[in-house]
Parts: sequence; C-alpha cells; structure tokens
Amino acid sequence: MSDVGQLATSLRRGTLEFCVLAMVEHEDRYGTEIVRRFGDEPGLAASEGTIYPLLSRLRRVGWLDSKWAESPSGPPRRYYGLTAAGRAALEHFRTEWVSFRQTVDRLVGTGEAA
Amino acid sequence: MKTQYTDVVAEYLREVDLRLAGLPVLQRRELLADLAAHIETERVERHLRGEAELIEVLERLGSPEVVARAAYAEAGPLPPIAAPPLPPPTVARSRDRAPWVLPVIGAGVVAFLVMLVLCAGFFLASSRQSAPQQVAPEATVAPAAPTPSFADPTN
Repeated sequence: MSDVGQLATSLRRGTLEFCVLAMVEHEDRYGTEIVRRFGDEPGLAASEGTIYPLLSRLRRVGWLDSKWAESPSGPPRRYYGLTAAGRAALEHFRTEWVSFRQTVDRLVGTGEAA
Repeated sequence: MKTQYTDVVAEYLREVDLRLAGLPVLQRRELLADLAAHIETERVERHLRGEAELIEVLERLGSPEVVARAAYAEAGPLPPIAAPPLPPPTVARSRDRAPWVLPVIGAGVVAFLVMLVLCAGFFLASSRQSAPQQVAPEATVAPAAPTPSFADPTN
C-alpha cells in the first residue's frame, strides 16, 4: 500500500504543477477553487493543503501571478493567473509530455496497440 | 459556537506555523494566510456548521506535518541558505579573503623569483670574470699525479 502511495507521489512530482498551470490557462481561479478541482480528480488527490505551497512556488518562479479580490459570498479570494512565462512553460511541457508518454507506453506496453 | 470554530482552526494553524520555522518568513506568512483563507472560504461557501464539519476541512487539508513537509519541498534550495545564519558570513569572509590574498601572495612569489633571477644573473656575471683564475687551478689539481700511482700497484 505504501508502495502504491509512493508511486502516486513519484508520478505527481513534475506533472502536478502543469495541471495547475493548465487549470488557470483560460481564466483566473482562486485558491480554494483550484484545490476543490484537484479534490475531484482521483489519482491527483494529494492532501489539499499541499497545493498552496505549490502555488507559492509557481508564483515565485514567475509562472503564476496572484491578486486578492473581494468575494461576493465570503472572505477575500486570492486569484491565480498564468503569466507569459507560465504559458511558455505549459506549452513546453505539452510537447515534452507527449513524447515522454509515447516512450513509456512503448516500453511498458501501455500503448493503445498493446 | 464561532469561538469553537476559531479555536480548532487557530490550533491547526499554530501547529502548522510551529513546523515552518526553517522557512523564509514571507513564505511562512503566505502559507498561513492561504490556509486561513481556504478554511474560511470553505466554512462560508459550504455553510459549515459545527466543529466536526470544520475538522473535516482540516483533515482534507492534511496534517500539519504533511503540509509543512510540502512547504519545505516546494521551498527548494532556499531553506539551506536561509536557515543557518552563521555559516554564510564565514564562508563569505573566506571567499572575500581568497581573491584578495592570493594575488598578493602571487605577486610576492613573482617578485621573489625576479629577485632570485636577478641575483643569479649578477653572480653568474661576476663569477664569469673570476672564473678563469679559479677554475684553472682546480682543473690542474683534479688530474693529480697520485691517481696513476694508485693504479700501478693494483696492476
């Protein structure tokens, strides 16, 4: 069981951040919204609290920017949006991911032909 | 009832904060503010009532250990540089000294070598003048007569 968890952690590392970038590609989203979205996805569900340090890093490296805004229904929300550098990083990942996935599929036997 | 909520939340945030001591202060405050906003957003938007529902929110966030571990992991190489305040100055000082001192030592060595070469040149030049007088006697003395007389008895 711990091996399964370890595998999920390993697979998340390096890919989760691009899922975050993709999530705010077309519109800004606030933190809780992003966290809830991840909670809905099986397999990506790390502890919700670990998303915030990730958002912080993506902001620090300049792939996301953030701004606080008033909410109509609750406390102020911190909205995250994609920067130009973040957009470029996401595009780069998409290219890399496709070839990476194809290689792994071929070697592991998980391709559509298999 | 509302104080009960804030008690649970405040305790949770304090437990997280306690584990973030090695992080840069701004990252620490940012995370605590994000978590506090998240909890409050969930409470208001999901119309949570009672401590039990709020504890569920905290459980979904993850234990303070898990959250803190993620915070350190995402902080990357920053903590090692920022955490020990004492080593960097000594490292910086020795780095400052190195570019300073090495050229000075190097210049000293070069100057010494130049002096050595000049002195050697001077001695060579001066010895060349007196050489004929000194070398000549030695050369005449070296193939001294006794050597043949030694050889003769053995044969």
